[in-house]
Amino acid sequence: MNATPETTSAKQGGVTRRDIENVERALIDQSARGPVLTFFTMAVFWLLVSAVLGYIASKKLHSPDFVLGPEWLYKLLHLQRITTGIFEHLTYGRVWPAYTTAMIYGWCSLAGMGVATWLIGRLTRVSIKLPVVLQFGAWFWNAGVAVAVITILCGYNSGLEFFEMHRVARMLMFLGYLCIGIWGLILFRYRRQSAPYISVWYLAAAFFLFPWFFGTTDALSSMALPGVMKNVVNAWYQNGLFNLWLGCIGIAAAYYLIPKIINRPIYSYNLASIGFWSWIFLGGLTAMTRLSGGPVPAYLVTISIAASILMIIPIATLTINFVRTMKGHTKLMASSPTLRFTFVGTIFFSIAAGLGVLAALRSVDSYTHFTAWTAGQLHLVTMGFFSMVMFGAIYYITPRLVGCEWLSRTFIKLHFFGTAYGAGTIIGMFLFGGLATGFVLNEPTADKMGFYNVSGIANAYMPVKTYIGYVLFGVAQIIFAFHFLLMRLRIGQPAGEPTLLQTPGEGH
Amino acid sequence: MQNSSTLFTGIFGAFALSCGVMVLIPHSQLASLQPQVQWDEGQNSPADVYPQKRHMAGREVFLSEGCIYCHSQQVRDPQYGPDMERGWGPRRTVARDYIHDDVPLLGSARLGPDLSNFGWTAKVAQKDGTEKSVGMWRNEHEDDTKKPAARNEQWIYQHLYSPRTLFSDSKCPPYRFLFERKEIGEKLSPNAVAHDEKFQYVPTLEAEHLAQYLLSLDRSHEVKEAPTVIKPKEAAKK
Repeated sequence: MNATPETTSAKQGGVTRRDIENVERALIDQSARGPVLTFFTMAVFWLLVSAVLGYIASKKLHSPDFVLGPEWLYKLLHLQRITTGIFEHLTYGRVWPAYTTAMIYGWCSLAGMGVATWLIGRLTRVSIKLPVVLQFGAWFWNAGVAVAVITILCGYNSGLEFFEMHRVARMLMFLGYLCIGIWGLILFRYRRQSAPYISVWYLAAAFFLFPWFFGTTDALSSMALPGVMKNVVNAWYQNGLFNLWLGCIGIAAAYYLIPKIINRPIYSYNLASIGFWSWIFLGGLTAMTRLSGGPVPAYLVTISIAASILMIIPIATLTINFVRTMKGHTKLMASSPTLRFTFVGTIFFSIAAGLGVLAALRSVDSYTHFTAWTAGQLHLVTMGFFSMVMFGAIYYITPRLVGCEWLSRTFIKLHFFGTAYGAGTIIGMFLFGGLATGFVLNEPTADKMGFYNVSGIANAYMPVKTYIGYVLFGVAQIIFAFHFLLMRLRIGQPAGEPTLLQTPGEGH
Repeated sequence: MQNSSTLFTGIFGAFALSCGVMVLIPHSQLASLQPQVQWDEGQNSPADVYPQKRHMAGREVFLSEGCIYCHSQQVRDPQYGPDMERGWGPRRTVARDYIHDDVPLLGSARLGPDLSNFGWTAKVAQKDGTEKSVGMWRNEHEDDTKKPAARNEQWIYQHLYSPRTLFSDSKCPPYRFLFERKEIGEKLSPNAVAHDEKFQYVPTLEAEHLAQYLLSLDRSHEVKEAPTVIKPKEAAKK
């Protein structure tokens, strides 16, 4: 954990403090192995599911008659009944919520919980006790997500965005969460590091707050609230989900991994402190911009716009911290997979958060509201920022748990390029396609009032998103999943030297 | 940060602020919302109550098929966008419009038109002195050649079955599974969307419920909190 190298005592037969720390770390890693690998394996499974669902949803958006294959194939296989029976029901309206559920609660949350578990073990410097509790938690959560995705595809929808799942799924996930959250708090209580590091603040916020807003939203959604209150609660929940849950876990991971790899401390702890407090105080107030112009009290939207603009403070402090910490060490990104993924993830974070500030302004919002732009913002957060940081973390953590290094640097390179360019394409097409639509949606001419003038505007953008963006992304994740599977089977390079993207000294 | 109690107190405080401002305060405002009731003098029951609570089975179909991911149901004030110019409603929708909805299907994307007032009708005087109820929800210019003649049940069924026969660039999915194949009896059903010599494709009960739900969507009733921007008489001329 000390970023600065220790001057050690005598080397002849003496045990240095460094050695003790290394052994301690190894013990913590071994104790975390079972649960963290379970989390990661489940997360990778949902990553593949969401990549497939994402492709289908994206294709259905520009080719709604697409039924997963040509008619002649089904006739040939005598499977016509399946086309009419099952695939026809997989309309955009069902696949999209299933996709976001699988992505956010399946891939993002499970990866986040796995990384957080390992981070908490390392940062509290306590070996993980009772890992079976965590395993139960992971299985319950996983079951919840499975119930959620399947029931949504079968037509269940609660009506609340990013919270569409059935109450049974929510109960399962909450139960799983309790196992993990309570375990985390106990470990924190018995920590051996008295002054918590930055990442611990963010993880504490994420794990302490998630059950509150998840549970509150679930409880309120089943009560008889006056009409639009449920939409208000839904927007408030989205705040918690993206800013305080995913946002905090991602930032925590970045704050740990970047200094770790480059072996330098964070640029400024003061900035980190300002960034943390402003993030969690403002982060819970920004979501009502989703309801701007809607049938809700106007002051809610105004508060959210103000809070969104003030978010410049935490965004700036986080960006400065990450960029200045990396200053002079960016060439390490050429060799370290973790650094490359994580730092690019933090760049996506700055873009995502920055666009969030912009889109909150009324003038910009009038062109982006109700368009695909918001889907672009969603993917900036989940795919661009969070997924990239999680990949960086998984590439770092997994060798320490399985005792061998990643097999192939080519796989890692392909994964990086596929993810970065795939996610970039998806995000770009959502943003630009949405903006193009928004211009016409917002300023129609008198003879072009018919909505059919709007439907075709994004025709140029959406197929690119599907056939280039989602295909690149999907293929990259298949390669990653295969590579991860090899690691779980201990098929890899011998432990000791990390698998780097280029040998240090190679000039590219 | 020196100790964990500062940390947790701070985190809890941030959450309390968020919950208080975003949830508790609006709830205290909205919880007292009641339907708008109008009494005439000397009457024992109100002359007019808006909105009326109605359970529409089609709402479940609307929700189940995920229509909210493309269709919104909220009309905004002109300062936010040309919702009313597009003919989506005579006034902006207010919280009172949704008090009977379990979860208001406000929607957050418009890949298809807003449907808040799909069933909005107005009585329009005809040349022969009678009055006709016509659908007011329209978003096409009167000279627009693509403008449908009427948005009634048959039009809805056709749109559900095959959207691109009506609007070639529509991204609406074809809901073929909401239709069933039946033998043509004595004559073709008026609701049949397709037919050949022996069989016709008619809407299932779900499709009929959905159509009735869509035609029931009408939030044009005058309310105190939002002025009517487009008067029905004005709109009738368009």
